[in-house]
Amino acid sequence: MESYFKNKWLPYLLLLPTFIILIVFLFYPAFETFRLSFYKVHPFGIKKIFAGLYNFKKLFRSSDYIYSFKISFIFSIFVVIGGLFISLLIALLLNQDLKGQRIYRSFLIWPYALSPAISGAIFRFLFNPANGYLNYFFKAIFGFEPAWLTNGSLALVIITIAATWKNLGYNIIFYLAGLQNVQKEALDAAAIDGAGPVKRFVFITFPLLSPTTFFLLIMNLIYSYFSSFGLIDVLTEGGPANATNILIYQLYRDFFINSKTGYAAAESLVLFSLVVLLTLVQFKTTGRKVHYQ
Amino acid sequence: MKRSVLIVILSCVLILLPMYTFAGGAQEKVKITGPVTIQFWHAMGGARIQLIQGIVDSFMKENPNIKVKVQYTGSYNDTLNKTKAAAKAGNPPHVFQLYDVGTLGMVYSGIIVPIDDLSKWESINWDDFFSPVRNYYTISGKHYSMPFNSSTPLLYYNKNFFTKAGLNPEKPPKTFKDVIEYSKKLKASDLGLKAPITWNLHSWYFEQFHCIMDAPFVNNDNGRSGKLPTKALFNQEPGQKILEWWTGMEKDGLFLDVGPGWANHRAAFGSGEVAMVMSSTSDVNQLTKLLGEKNWKMGTGYVPRPEGAKGGVTIGGGSLWITKDHPKQELLAAFKLVKYISGDESQIKWHKGTGYFPVRKTAMEKLQKEGWFEENPNFLTAFKQLQETPYTVNTAGALIGTFPEVRSYIQTAIQKVYSGEMTVKQALDEAAAKADESFKEWNELVK
Repeated sequence: MESYFKNKWLPYLLLLPTFIILIVFLFYPAFETFRLSFYKVHPFGIKKIFAGLYNFKKLFRSSDYIYSFKISFIFSIFVVIGGLFISLLIALLLNQDLKGQRIYRSFLIWPYALSPAISGAIFRFLFNPANGYLNYFFKAIFGFEPAWLTNGSLALVIITIAATWKNLGYNIIFYLAGLQNVQKEALDAAAIDGAGPVKRFVFITFPLLSPTTFFLLIMNLIYSYFSSFGLIDVLTEGGPANATNILIYQLYRDFFINSKTGYAAAESLVLFSLVVLLTLVQFKTTGRKVHYQ
Repeated sequence: MKRSVLIVILSCVLILLPMYTFAGGAQEKVKITGPVTIQFWHAMGGARIQLIQGIVDSFMKENPNIKVKVQYTGSYNDTLNKTKAAAKAGNPPHVFQLYDVGTLGMVYSGIIVPIDDLSKWESINWDDFFSPVRNYYTISGKHYSMPFNSSTPLLYYNKNFFTKAGLNPEKPPKTFKDVIEYSKKLKASDLGLKAPITWNLHSWYFEQFHCIMDAPFVNNDNGRSGKLPTKALFNQEPGQKILEWWTGMEKDGLFLDVGPGWANHRAAFGSGEVAMVMSSTSDVNQLTKLLGEKNWKMGTGYVPRPEGAKGGVTIGGGSLWITKDHPKQELLAAFKLVKYISGDESQIKWHKGTGYFPVRKTAMEKLQKEGWFEENPNFLTAFKQLQETPYTVNTAGALIGTFPEVRSYIQTAIQKVYSGEMTVKQALDEAAAKADESFKEWNELVK
């Protein structure tokens, strides 16, 4: 192969800035996390005691951590599946020729532009136990006020809804783009052959959307495991009684509040491996069914 | 012969050398000769940013040689994390503000210098300080940080609601039993309350009730004997009694569970969803204003106590820490700054602007002379409550290295009782076991 550059070192020189940034902000911290997970670390880092697998053993012996695992799993299933289902539905509706379609689109994509803390605050206005807006209506209509955020199961439902809603815009954008790439000819031909709208969706549109769905599946998985921290911090602080304490929140607590550096490093390795594992599983299973045009 | 001479000379040297060093230390003089710049990070948001800047500005006017760069660095916890990161990078702020419960952690942080070590350069009269404030920040007889913003919990109630429910609006409930009786009356009235009383889900109240009962929270004299605490005691009889009362009221619909955070309980009180609330004394201004908007009158009372409890409230809030590893002149400038902030003039300004106590008796006396308390009787309740606290290691408040972690265990325990998942004893035992484990790990690391 013929090189575009005469100087053998020039391409490396041009890549250098990227590598410096990657090393400083990604590889070095990742390596440090790995290393620290084998230590007990003084809160201010002035002392380290090598502890072998102590942190990992402690993690998997902790009933709180196992519970957090379960909660995260339930949470992510609902956020990913529910989120994709709803956004595909909305995208289908938005893909029709409607008057004022652009306005609807902007409104539906809007939540994605909000920061997690802001969306948390919105949900807090709606559901807070002292004077949430929704409680006011609930009392007026049904005569009782559910403890949205102070009942464990309800709080998890609210957090799931909030996290799903927050990511809808992102999913809708990708589905809309996918839908606009579905060839009209194929759909028209199917219609002439007598396929109804449901059949056309199941046999033509959905298979043609499979690369988008697969991409979104993985992005949403990562989102549900890593990016829901802000919502939880604003709404429930992981409570009541750890009911919304998903892995990323426990990690935040252990590092930023409890100052247990080594333990938190171990947690972050576990979380990282878990998400890598789930992604691999998806590639091996769902990934094979993806149909690329 | 020669040998004995040598021994005599050696012993003379051994005796005299320490004396010489000691004398030298006492006589060491540091003076600020040129312009010095220091950093000050604090955790007081909102209108308090301007207030602190104002205090620092007048400090700089008095000390033209010292320039102070003030920065609001988020919550206490954020400030701590930023300081930690800055210390690791070798560039910590000279002065930073931290919450009460971070005290023991800072003592063993390896990044601070005790205030007492600096007062050899410039004296400070500790007798001026309120003893509960001073006691809290004294560890094994040494002052480590400078008290700055001190508060205690206080009971606030809606006088109009009391009158409507047939209660005397000038008589707040005093005991656990009173609170239940009052609450039942308020609930039976047609005020449309969500519940009669609330406070936010926070371990702070649980800790304060221990002080009120003069009961230890952890062993080794509440962590104050010079030995680090190794065992949690909050799951014993006093702790159980407190939680039985607290969560019992929740079960009976007398207490509104508003969850964690510092906004919901104030909002519930301000919008008339509850008739009584417990919160920090630093909320006096804010809550008076909230109730005033609806033309309601607010009363205040002491934190309720179990019958026969002999203790009193302890202070919460924060103090100012000085980090080591700076040139002597900068350290002296930092010391001058914290001394100025704890001084009468600054503390009076601070008290009026926020509701936090002045940390000095002298400042309090000046406020009394001004007639400030006749105009603001609710502040007087808060003061009297603190003044009546007798001194013991229990009322001084616990010192725990892993306090933030322990607090989260306690809060989880309370929620487990709310949901009926555990009894009070089970939940507290679980929290205590987790706390003990955290002590063990922490003690190993700081020793």
